[in-house]
Amino acid sequence: MTDLAEQKPAVPDRRARRSRAERRARTQERRQRHAQMTAQSTTPESPAPARVEERPARREARIASRYDRPRTVISYPVAVFGIIVGIVGGLFLAWNVAPTEEFDTVPRQLGGNERAQYVVAVMLAYQYDGDFNRALNELVALNLGADPIQAVADIACDLASTGYAATTSGQNAIRSLIDFYQPQGRTGCATDLIPAAIAQASPVIEVTVSTPTLRPPASKTPTPVGTPVTISTLPGVVPGEETDEPFLRQPTPAFTRQFSIVQIDTYCRLESSGLIEVRVRDSGGEELPAQPVRVRWDQGESIFYTGLHPDRGLGYADFQMEAGVRYTIDMPSLSDAFTQTLDAAPCATNTGDTAVTSYIVWFRANA
Amino acid sequence: MSRFVLSLFGGLALGLAAGLYLGWVQFPVEYVNSPAPNLAQQYKDDYTIMIAKGFLVDGDLPGAVSRINMLRVDNVPEYVQNTTERYITNSRALDDIYALIALSEAMGRLTPLMQEYREIIAPEGGSEGGAG
Repeated sequence: MTDLAEQKPAVPDRRARRSRAERRARTQERRQRHAQMTAQSTTPESPAPARVEERPARREARIASRYDRPRTVISYPVAVFGIIVGIVGGLFLAWNVAPTEEFDTVPRQLGGNERAQYVVAVMLAYQYDGDFNRALNELVALNLGADPIQAVADIACDLASTGYAATTSGQNAIRSLIDFYQPQGRTGCATDLIPAAIAQASPVIEVTVSTPTLRPPASKTPTPVGTPVTISTLPGVVPGEETDEPFLRQPTPAFTRQFSIVQIDTYCRLESSGLIEVRVRDSGGEELPAQPVRVRWDQGESIFYTGLHPDRGLGYADFQMEAGVRYTIDMPSLSDAFTQTLDAAPCATNTGDTAVTSYIVWFRANA
Repeated sequence: MSRFVLSLFGGLALGLAAGLYLGWVQFPVEYVNSPAPNLAQQYKDDYTIMIAKGFLVDGDLPGAVSRINMLRVDNVPEYVQNTTERYITNSRALDDIYALIALSEAMGRLTPLMQEYREIIAPEGGSEGGAG
């Protein structure tokens, strides 16, 4: 068995050797014939009889030359294929697998909100130097679209519609945008949302109102009868004219105070999920009732008053947030809005339940 | 056979090198919606100067601070101070330096270097337009 197995491979080897020898002999034969043919074709004598046998000979010569042609080291079609595949692979690697690290960003690459902030900066600088061409070039570089000035109007509108306009800083910034686009004949909703009167000092006049039926705040403070009230008028509004929003305010002592947010605490409880608790105190630490507190969000705002839950304290008020919404809080005309938002974000209670983050906001009168 | 393998791998290597060059150098990925801290230093400086000029107009220091916060710097007064001193050291435009000094001063960072410069460039003896 072992002998047979050892002998077996000898048969194909011998065959292969024979066939190789045959092939070599045949190739030599062909070469000789080709040489003869070439010699015959180059000989000027007796061309006529040679022509008859020339055709098969040439064919053989052609076949012979295909095998005789010296081979190049590279197969060009395969190399081209490799290059194409390599380029595709290289681009995939460079763009998807290992893209260049982000650095040296230009302003036009900024995200929407931060690009808006950059536009605000450009407008503030424009207010300083009045260089319209510089401002316009900056806006063009920001890639704001076909009409960068209208884009400024749109950005102003967006900012005015959000909590950004809740602060004096925000209003001033929006005004700088309006001052830029309005003279250029562009329009935007910011013009309506941020009336010119806000930034200007509103003239204040004193009149005597006989009936105190004007928007009583939800207050525990006794409503004064027949006392002088302060009316703040906007330019173009005649005092006494009926408007949807009368600018009449009760002259409670608190209105003469200015308040600041001194502390904001958060907690997470299922029973008071998503609640903004407000505490308003005077500079001595006494709780103040009947103080207006305003909460704003993207879609609207709500004004409520302290003192409606006397069991929790005279300076207490609360507001129920909706999950996932962001709010800003201030005391209208009495404080600047808190620049950070209060997020109604989900949180986990001590018992492992999911609730919405609640806040305790402390306002205190400035001394 | 080795001829084909050699050609294929040679081509692949060449193509890969060309593809990486194109993808990393010639046509690199351009990011959008980038955060402001990734801004090139030049644009961070431009932004800070614009805010400083705005501050000269409205004197709104909290507004200026909150705007510079967009760059997410750890310490805004220190950042403004460093920018101002760099501008002074590099002899940049006087107008820019003046605005930066005013903002830095309002943040309580008037260094001796700024003080000297301020005395030279500040119109009529000090900052104006709400710098204080």
